[in-house]
Amino acid sequence: MGEEAKGDFEPKIVGFTCNWCTYAAADLAGTSRKKYPPNSRIIRLMCSGRLDPMFVLKVLLNGADGVFFSGCHPGECHYIKGNFYARRRIAALRTILKEFGLDERFKSYWISASEGEKFANTMKTQAEEVKKLGPSPLRGKIL
Amino acid sequence: MKGAELKPEDLKGLLRGLLEKGVVDCLVMPHRAGKTVSYMLVNDPDKIESPESAIFAPSFVVNAANLVKGWTIKEKVGIVAKPCEIRAAIELIKLKQMDNESLLLIAVDCSGAYTNQVYTENYADIGDQADSAKMKALEGKGVLIREACAICANKLADVGDIIIARAAGENLVAAGLTDMGVDALTTLELSLEDKDLERTAEKEKIAGDAKAKLDALPQMGSLDALEEFLHDCIVCKNCRDMCPVCYCKECFFEQPLGKPTGGDLLNLAELRGAIGLPPGQLFYHLTRVYHVSTTCVGCGACEDACPKDIPLTRFYPVITQKVQDIFEYVPGKDVEEPLPFTAYEEEELEDKLRD
Repeated sequence: MGEEAKGDFEPKIVGFTCNWCTYAAADLAGTSRKKYPPNSRIIRLMCSGRLDPMFVLKVLLNGADGVFFSGCHPGECHYIKGNFYARRRIAALRTILKEFGLDERFKSYWISASEGEKFANTMKTQAEEVKKLGPSPLRGKIL
Repeated sequence: MKGAELKPEDLKGLLRGLLEKGVVDCLVMPHRAGKTVSYMLVNDPDKIESPESAIFAPSFVVNAANLVKGWTIKEKVGIVAKPCEIRAAIELIKLKQMDNESLLLIAVDCSGAYTNQVYTENYADIGDQADSAKMKALEGKGVLIREACAICANKLADVGDIIIARAAGENLVAAGLTDMGVDALTTLELSLEDKDLERTAEKEKIAGDAKAKLDALPQMGSLDALEEFLHDCIVCKNCRDMCPVCYCKECFFEQPLGKPTGGDLLNLAELRGAIGLPPGQLFYHLTRVYHVSTTCVGCGACEDACPKDIPLTRFYPVITQKVQDIFEYVPGKDVEEPLPFTAYEEEELEDKLRD
């Protein structure tokens, strides 16, 4: 994979979303015909608490330009406390990623099922941010 | 804190007494073998000969907690070890790998340790135990303590059930920290009196020195630096096996997804153009550093275990320290305190998710 010029590269973004909120918000964004860039590939989890930080590491090491995780707002978890646990794990993981400058490629959001517009806007902002960062430094590496 | 002053030679009586009076069924403790020390599991009190020559030896062989990891037995086992080893044991109790009731944890003051190779080579200069003056002199000659010990801020024994402190000049103080520890000392008919073993000033000095050493370590800071750092890793996973707090029975990296071979590797090579061999150096270490992020006691056993001499202390303890800081968690400090990943507060950490 060659270096692409920063301006005209289309980033690949992988998202892990909770079935009960952000995944439904993505649906809502679709049914309400909100436009957002097609860079993100979404993986549905039953809860943000299902997110094993290893998923994020694997995705980053395999060369994704951006990763995000999104769950229900704290206190609104379908399973009562899944996102509280997720928050601790993500905070730990981001602390580690920060050591190697990878934290800016890993975003976390809280987006509820009714926030279709917020989802579309978030996707747009993230795609722009990752575009500005350029291709992942891990893409071309022999790992 | 209830404790009693002992002469160094009384230590033999104390440890023998634990076995003779049935306080413990067995003891895991260091024993001397010529110029070196290693651990033994001792049942016969007569086999304990001169413990004062071994338990203070500034040599790190293996983390004692790793030796008893997963022993879910009814018999009571006493462990005499350095504070980092006792702290690892406490983390293992919290991780349900050992039973608090069947362990008597005895922490011994540490002054920092040499790898056992360095210790053996320089035994003539170091001797059975070392103080900071002697270590300073040796540092001048290029005989250095392990990096993990240099950056360790918790060298003084203050965890476990009983502590053995070098806090009375030539003499020692044995003190009970928990009910179990006080009961054990009472059974030995030691005359216990109130002892102040907080040693705040001394601890602050050690913490200050440790911080200075930590700040002086080369920083990684970038992905390229990490790649170079781990370049020689052969993914033998010895760092995992020697790590006291890496405890999964079925490690992800022994399973097909974590340890791809043959056709799986060809597929990966096709996908990425080229992959490094052995595969997964970065994935393995980054995953492992996350897995031990809250429980790493910084003992440096990983670095000692590395056959390629990668200075893993600059990776594991240094990074996990930063994670522990955000949870304000000190591993092994308190057996009652929940592990950070098993607890939460309703409002916390939002700034850590998106700064």
